[in-house]
Amino acid sequence: MNVLYATLGFLGIYAYVSFASLLWGGIDRKLVARMQRRMGPPLLQPFYDFLKLVSKESIIPRDANRFFELAPVLALATSIALLAYTPLGFEPLFGTKGDVILFIYLLTLIGFLRVVGAVSSGSPYAQIGAQREMIILVSREGPMMLALFTILWRLSDLGVTKPFSMGTFYEHNVWELGTPMSIMGAVVLLLVFMAWLASEIEVGYFDIPEAETELAEGTMAEYSGRHLALFELANAIKAFVSASLVVVIFFPWGISGYIGLTGLPAVVIDLLFHTLKVFAVLFVSMSLFRAVTGRLRINQAVTLFWTRMLPAAIVGALLLAIDTLGVVA
Amino acid sequence: MNGKLEYWVKIPIGPIHPALEEPEKFIITLDGERIINVDVKLGYNLRGLEWIAMRRNYIQILYLAERICGICSFSHNHTYSRAVEEMAGIEVPERAEYIRVIIGELERIHSHLLNLGVVGHTIGYDTTLHLSWLARERVMDILEAIGGNRVNYSINTIGGVRRDLEEKHIRAILDMIENYRNEVMPKIEEIFLYDPTVEARLRDAGVIPKRIAIEYSAQGPTARGSGVKKDVRYNEKLSVYPDLGVKPITPKEFTGVVKGDVFDRMVVRVGELWQSMELIERAIDQMPEGKIKAVPKDNTLLFQLKKAEGEGIGRYEAPRGELIHYVMAQKGKDVPAKWKMREPTFPNLFAIARALVGEQVADVPVAIASIDPCLSCTDRVAVVDANTGRKKVLTERDLLRLSIEKTRELNPNVRAKPEVVGVGCPRGGVL
Repeated sequence: MNVLYATLGFLGIYAYVSFASLLWGGIDRKLVARMQRRMGPPLLQPFYDFLKLVSKESIIPRDANRFFELAPVLALATSIALLAYTPLGFEPLFGTKGDVILFIYLLTLIGFLRVVGAVSSGSPYAQIGAQREMIILVSREGPMMLALFTILWRLSDLGVTKPFSMGTFYEHNVWELGTPMSIMGAVVLLLVFMAWLASEIEVGYFDIPEAETELAEGTMAEYSGRHLALFELANAIKAFVSASLVVVIFFPWGISGYIGLTGLPAVVIDLLFHTLKVFAVLFVSMSLFRAVTGRLRINQAVTLFWTRMLPAAIVGALLLAIDTLGVVA
Repeated sequence: MNGKLEYWVKIPIGPIHPALEEPEKFIITLDGERIINVDVKLGYNLRGLEWIAMRRNYIQILYLAERICGICSFSHNHTYSRAVEEMAGIEVPERAEYIRVIIGELERIHSHLLNLGVVGHTIGYDTTLHLSWLARERVMDILEAIGGNRVNYSINTIGGVRRDLEEKHIRAILDMIENYRNEVMPKIEEIFLYDPTVEARLRDAGVIPKRIAIEYSAQGPTARGSGVKKDVRYNEKLSVYPDLGVKPITPKEFTGVVKGDVFDRMVVRVGELWQSMELIERAIDQMPEGKIKAVPKDNTLLFQLKKAEGEGIGRYEAPRGELIHYVMAQKGKDVPAKWKMREPTFPNLFAIARALVGEQVADVPVAIASIDPCLSCTDRVAVVDANTGRKKVLTERDLLRLSIEKTRELNPNVRAKPEVVGVGCPRGGVL
């Protein structure tokens, strides 16, 4: 019986997140358009795009190998699997000890599958896009992981039931540590996470692997029809999930406790409130960032990550760690 | 070294590519992200304008010249007029010259704003595109009010201009300049001169050193961005420009250094926006009263041109650089024997192809956009054998045969006998 409920809940979450993430695509496009003094497309444009792409024929290049068709399916499957470990205002459905590592692996796997698909297509544009995606993937994960694991290590000291899991953030959050050092550290790490998020969803500075005007959509150059639709959905879900990570670390508060709800209504309210917070984070890291910046060169982006973000993550991590290490009494 | 060859990747930028507005092909050989060779292939957009002109009289060619390019339509038209005027010895009234200056500078403003936006777009900074194109609408509206059209305003004619500037137009122009000075230009400067993203992407991209600019005969903002003081309006003392105090703009006056990169070209464009506004104001101040056409009636003009003999060259500084039109007259006919133009894009294209070697693939679109390529006006006939790479000269008969073969290849249903002779081609050897 429990398994049945979990499965139904999982399907519900999948349906809801697909809807919410595609809706965010529409809101983002509209907001950016208004910032640029344009009308912008209708709010539901991503849904129309998705439905149209699904109904269209998918063209497969002659030189493409099997992975070309497999990659989008696997990417969507990965993103669905990711939802089982994503905190969405309540504890993850299948959350367990140490699921953070699985979470990061799955998140990276989507990017990796894009690379596999691009390399399999045999197009030179896609290959350059794949190279760039790999380079930036390697650069952006380091600072983020350092930051995330520092926070989790610090929180697990406070005594949580499932250490190194997403559920940790529902028992304690980073602001609860309370010392001035840890708050400063958390602010620095928030910046690192915002930059990581922008890079993860490839906007503004970090729109490098897809670079429309340089590589004609880069990694996605050869995809069309159903396969492209699957990738689009997987990417939209990935954006939502990545933002959920930032929300759950830095803004984990729910509202159901304050208005005294329990059971299913509490879950629904928390889910909606979480979605709102995700949209707010994405607004800063995606829409605003996209409106006020252009694309960097790949070497500049990599330099940014290794010489700015990594030191920032180290500084933030040290600030967080200092209390425990007892350097400052 | 030979072993390394197989790692090199050749990617085609074009003929159809999101960064190029017009069909043109750049074959780029890459070693990783570094460019080791750029090959430019022209000829995808040949429209045979010179051939079409052989069947039109001097006045009709004016409207054809305008359609060479949509952005510098006035420049082409104006340059052609200057060529014919020189050939036939027609004196242009002074007021007409001032009106030409005003329209020409308005066009320069709109062309530069367009290019600034395009460069912003190619680095993924779409907000700049929407800002500068929004500002551009105002100039376009004024050009529409004066000429009747947003793009091909056909204001020019041989020996003058077709429309006079009225009081309300002048007021509108001055209003626009006021608005640009106070609201648009500070924003444009803020974005293109001081924005960190723009600076990071445009500095040291597509560098054309001064020596290369001179060797490849780069034109316009491309040359001036490399520090070459080259401006037809200034060097040739063109029409009334010396009275208006025109000077070639180099980035030195704005940033103090000349590097010859994309950023410098943008700086030159921003500087020329300021300069154009000043020129328009001075031209409006100094504009004398008088007639606006040397020969009021087109019929009289055509008759006069029919008697003309010899050849004429018109030069003008189009927004993209020096534009040259050459016209050769046929005595007793109202069609020219030869009409030929040289656009600034042609030399600039090879200068930029040379400059791209050694840079990153990310710089290709922005570097190409920075010379403001107008490929539709650059394309000419060039036959290259794709397999051997050998060039050869084709006669008219060969071209016809090739086109018939191509038609049959594309559409096997055409079963008519190939007629090599007499397919609407003028006989008599004017080609």
